[in-house]
Amino acid sequence: MNQSSLATVDQPKIKTSQGKGSKWLSHRSLDEWSLGAVLMIGVLALFICVVLPIYTLLSKSIENKAGEFVGLANFSHFFATPSLYNAINNSLLIAFLSTFIVTTLSFLTAYGISRTRIPFKGLFRTILVLPILAPSLLPAISLVYLFGNQGIIKELLMGESIYGPIGIVIGSCFWTFPHALMIMLTALANTDARLYESAEVLGASPIRTFFTVTFPAAKYGIISVAFVVFTLVITDFGVPKVIGGQFNVLATDIYKQVIGQQNFEMGATVSVILLLPAILTFITDRWLQRRQSALLTSKAVPWVAPKRLWLDRTFFALMVLVSVVIVGIILMAVYASLVTFWPYNLSLSFNNYNFDLMDGGGWDSYWNSIQMATFTALIGTGFIFFQSYLVAKLKGFQLLKWCFHLFAILPLAVPGLVLGLAYIFFFNAPNNPLNGIYGTMTILVVCTISHFYTVCHLTATTALKQIDAEFESVSASLKVPQIKTFWRVTLPVCMPAVLDIASYLFVNAMTTVSAVVFLYSYHTSLASVAVLNMDDAGDIAPAAAMAVMIMLTCMVARLVHWLLGNVLLKHTQSWRQK
Amino acid sequence: MSNQAYLELQNIHQMFGSHQALKDVSLNIQEGEFVCFLGPSGCGKTSLLRIIAGLDTPSSGELFQAGQNITQTPIKHRDFGIVFQSYALFPNLSVADNIAYGLVSKQFSQRDKQARVSELLATVGLSGSETKYPAQLSGGQQQRVALARALATSPGLLLLDEPLSALDARVRAHLRQEIKQLQEKLGVTTIMVTHDQEEALTMADKIVVMNQGVIEQIGTPQEVYTHPNTPFVAEFVGEMNFIEAKNSGDGLMQSGTLMLQCEPSSESMFGENVKLAIRPEDIRFNGHEDDKNSLNAQVLHLEFLGSRVRSLLQIDDHETPLIADISMNEMSGLNLAQGQSVRCQLPADRLHIFGGHA
Ligand SMILES: Nc1ncnc2c1ncn2[C@@H]1O[C@H](COP(=O)(O)OP(=O)(O)OP(=O)(O)O)[C@@H](O)[C@H]1O
Ligand SMILES: [Mg+2]
Repeated sequence: MNQSSLATVDQPKIKTSQGKGSKWLSHRSLDEWSLGAVLMIGVLALFICVVLPIYTLLSKSIENKAGEFVGLANFSHFFATPSLYNAINNSLLIAFLSTFIVTTLSFLTAYGISRTRIPFKGLFRTILVLPILAPSLLPAISLVYLFGNQGIIKELLMGESIYGPIGIVIGSCFWTFPHALMIMLTALANTDARLYESAEVLGASPIRTFFTVTFPAAKYGIISVAFVVFTLVITDFGVPKVIGGQFNVLATDIYKQVIGQQNFEMGATVSVILLLPAILTFITDRWLQRRQSALLTSKAVPWVAPKRLWLDRTFFALMVLVSVVIVGIILMAVYASLVTFWPYNLSLSFNNYNFDLMDGGGWDSYWNSIQMATFTALIGTGFIFFQSYLVAKLKGFQLLKWCFHLFAILPLAVPGLVLGLAYIFFFNAPNNPLNGIYGTMTILVVCTISHFYTVCHLTATTALKQIDAEFESVSASLKVPQIKTFWRVTLPVCMPAVLDIASYLFVNAMTTVSAVVFLYSYHTSLASVAVLNMDDAGDIAPAAAMAVMIMLTCMVARLVHWLLGNVLLKHTQSWRQK
Repeated sequence: MSNQAYLELQNIHQMFGSHQALKDVSLNIQEGEFVCFLGPSGCGKTSLLRIIAGLDTPSSGELFQAGQNITQTPIKHRDFGIVFQSYALFPNLSVADNIAYGLVSKQFSQRDKQARVSELLATVGLSGSETKYPAQLSGGQQQRVALARALATSPGLLLLDEPLSALDARVRAHLRQEIKQLQEKLGVTTIMVTHDQEEALTMADKIVVMNQGVIEQIGTPQEVYTHPNTPFVAEFVGEMNFIEAKNSGDGLMQSGTLMLQCEPSSESMFGENVKLAIRPEDIRFNGHEDDKNSLNAQVLHLEFLGSRVRSLLQIDDHETPLIADISMNEMSGLNLAQGQSVRCQLPADRLHIFGGHA
């Protein structure tokens, strides 16, 4: 074949635009219109699943039982009732204490992992994030066995009771710690070696270097951790429910008002109060993110820690200590679930795993959870990633995209408990055409996806922003439909992020309690809720057993994720290697 | 047919928010022509290219191809291939798959596709790289793959956005020639965006010099170089000395106490302030004292540039020094040294005059 065939210039196959009238329609292809329609559906879905329920909740807080507008009467009633009002003080106390402890510990351990030369960093890291795989109820149950009335080391508390603030703080620290650690690791990861070298050349002492280089770089991470932990603790109700005793906090109050007394209006009122810290965190976090990204330079040189014998030993000791505590709490729960009859018959058996003999839904609830988590992961990942793709890569539709982004960020500011309640108000309303999904698996899946939407959306967006902005233009110029480029290029390139999202959704769907506790029905009881209910009914050992089942399932999910990511992708994605 | 342009842009405006990226751009491009958009960063070259491609729609103005209005035509119905500055090669597809990406299966059998890919790879000098992935290629090779991919569908119009700017100087010079030869061989109408004047001068049939969203001049490389329309073009394409002066009539220009004879022109009127301009290589040294525009100067500095020497001359009675380039041949006869006094001449036919409004 000779090259002259290349020169066969096609006759320009150009259609004239169909006159001025259709100008507005014609510059977009059918392709783009259909993708735009999908984006429109996404915006509507988020509007229905996030915005409307929250709006309904807000309006409920200013209505009375009969649905009449009462202004701020509910709020004044709340603040006039000492027992309710005390809950605020209690919540603040718990949140401040836990925030202080977790921020300090996570900074130190993150420093140990990223800035010292201690051995076994990988192992420590794995252990330290383990709590994320367990429902927040697990540490609380463990604490009962460790320090409760028949606890094995209750002497350590020197007469203080674990049922109350002490238990809540320890339990809260346990389950929020991994979230804090991950933020902290990111914050500490991006310090530039050249800054350390300059400090050294200028003769700064190690202490001075720490306060002038290390600390400022991690400052935003620390603030961010503090806010995130504060919100997580103040809105969590699993831990205080199990180990709080008579110690009232806001989150358990909502639960009691709604589930115990069917006082929905007061539940809505407390929810609105709970929204405040979350919204504050949300705004701070957005603000910080803007500041932090301005700090980063693209040419940072990774820093290698020097050998510092005593510092390394101290940090090694600290890491061992924290790891022992975490593993200890987890093993306690595992052990407790295997003991036949605590504390009288300490022989090991699987008796407590006979969930069908207890109240709480039995093994069915476990399988429901698996089903719910699988649906959440599959549908959620598909929906979230494709919608993020449209927002990032579809041409035009500016207003839709703006709305979408706003709605997608919103769930971050809404605690699960509040979202769950909002769902009751919205979907259970008799005049809502979607009323039919109330009490089904569907509402659980929808609620869970909505609840964890923001982090997934941001993960997807970040991954999509990293790939070349011109792929869509290239495929348009080659007359290949955009959707085909999505399948052949964008999706494969973003596969690691897609797997991250799926595994994040699965694990959170398995462990979450706060939103779904208001939404499950007799047929759709979930494992995490069963833990709560069995514990409530006094079946603490089976509750521990179910919590262990959840944790094991999440570990398997993480293992699958790891295998897919590291084994399968490494082989099919040889293009990533140079 | 011959007087109908292949591509015609009429009064194109482009606004990004309140920022006007293109102002009233009109331009004709003939079939088979190699056109360069030349201008500094941010002057709107890419914006104009994207409008021609149909990737963006102009705020106002119209675009005709072969007489038909294509301003609103979707990309699907246009006929062009494009190479982006970043190349935008699909990282997860092999070189062959990248090139074959636009060859839709219903028109090409698998064998046709393979044949076409190897043919294109041979054309861009990369035979045998079918199974490699983009990350395994050097910058210059990636750029060739991107070019092959854009050419695969035999487009009538090839658009290149700074195709060479990410490459090092040697590869760049080599590819410059290759692209030009390929374009001549295929006869494909080509528009290339660049901010490198040398690239534009060596490759283009026609240069479109842009500045801050407007076209300053359209012309062949020679025209643009030898007869710049505006001081901006004069300075941006090649190098230029500027002298502020006043028109004293009869082609005489006065700058301070200096009187310079220029060729009569309609560019400026008597008494007006003008800018005189002369290229460094147009300043002469071997003239006589009684030649026109012959001046005394002192050599402030000499700089060796390989094939020539650059001197900085302080003209007597004139404030700003001028740059003059002397070829090595001429240099050997002159024997210039720093601090020395010389006689130099600014030939009247080489002095450009830019009127006061410019
Ligand atoms: N999508 C956009 N939104 C807002 N402003 C834009 C957009 N695209 C371009 N601009 C602005 O329009 C001006 C022209 O941009 P353009 O990319 O066309 O410049 P250019 O000549 O290609 O520059 P460079 O050589 O740096 O590529 C710039 O000031 C740019 O900031
Ligand atoms: Mg550009």
